[in-house]
Amino acid sequence: MFKSIIRLQGTRGMATQAAAQRLKSFKIYRWSPDTPDKKPHMQEYKVDLNQCGPMVLDAIIKIKNEQDATLTFRRSCREGICGSCAMNIGGQNTLACLCKIDQDESKELKIYPLPHMYIVRDLVPDLTHFYKQYKSIQPYLQTKSKPADGKENFQSVEDRKKLDGLYECILCACCSTSCPSYWWNQQEYLGPAVLMQAYRWLVDSRDQAGKARKEMLQNSMSLYRCHTIMNCARTCPKGLNPGRAIAEIKKQLAFD
Amino acid sequence: MLKIGLRAKPTTSIRPLASRGLFIKTIPQPPGNIVGTVNDAYVPPPPTKSHGSWHWTGEKIVTIGMAPLVLTPFVTGTAYPLADSIMGTLLLYHCYAGFESCIIDYIPLRVYGIWHKAAMGLLGLGTLIAGYGIYVIEKTEQEGLVGIVKKLWTA
Repeated sequence: MFKSIIRLQGTRGMATQAAAQRLKSFKIYRWSPDTPDKKPHMQEYKVDLNQCGPMVLDAIIKIKNEQDATLTFRRSCREGICGSCAMNIGGQNTLACLCKIDQDESKELKIYPLPHMYIVRDLVPDLTHFYKQYKSIQPYLQTKSKPADGKENFQSVEDRKKLDGLYECILCACCSTSCPSYWWNQQEYLGPAVLMQAYRWLVDSRDQAGKARKEMLQNSMSLYRCHTIMNCARTCPKGLNPGRAIAEIKKQLAFD
Repeated sequence: MLKIGLRAKPTTSIRPLASRGLFIKTIPQPPGNIVGTVNDAYVPPPPTKSHGSWHWTGEKIVTIGMAPLVLTPFVTGTAYPLADSIMGTLLLYHCYAGFESCIIDYIPLRVYGIWHKAAMGLLGLGTLIAGYGIYVIEKTEQEGLVGIVKKLWTA
């Protein structure tokens, strides 16, 4: 409360006197496909924190607007619901729009794209394979029988509760790209994000394709490359726990 | 945009990811890990329960089974050769499964092909030899495996 009053006075003073600049340096990963023989490098930008919003996304939008229009990144909703601005900020995969800038301007902030992904440009990773994996778990309701009233598939309150903590996932790929096992074998291992959605459809009381869904995971690669490293739960910007969901799948499959 | 990046001519400074092996020739991987078109779903390996759930369940049962067997010698002493030989066998499988997992992670069939099979073969051979070793220990040593650990501890 006290801090915010001070800041308010600070901004109010700027109209009349020269604002004190609080320059913080942002080091951002740069690579362009137009110059493929030029190695990726870190480019430094200085941003005045007094003139910038509180989140990392505010800072990189400011850099793109004012300093370097060639800086490339994905962003859309700026409030943590679209998952576009997932990147590696200060060593942790998170959403730039939900990550506060450390107000200590003596410390620099490093921003990389999601680790161990093919890079399209700068902070934009190629998520094609990730989406192909998501498609393979058939993320939609499959029923054999029609609902009794011909309209709705009903679900009890208890059954609906089982989906809490699963349906909130926005598929930003922060968890999958923080998983060492996914780094090693992402071509065959589905990764935490996709497996959590696989579980979301396995526990859905309305879904009737459970047998096929389970059978798809019955090999050494798709599911069982999870070694409960739990980086996924640690990094999730939405506070979900994909590691637990994977453990639940393993339990369901155990005596299958 | 994407295609420009993927079609970029490989130069000396950028080497394809999969052929990075120092001594071993590896199988080149598709660009961007994309098999088929971008709209095809990922195709999982064919379902085999012995590599899937049974394998996992077996691993867990063995691990849980080992826990009391590790503790029994502290309570009962070393006079039970049966418990000792069961422990030896379970430990052997536990180690086999652990190393097998390492091989699948670090020397995947997809990239290393024949080398993956060679590593698995080597592991199988090593496990057989170790199994024979356990047999010899159980036959000749008075206190079995636990006795050897005991000697190491007091040495």
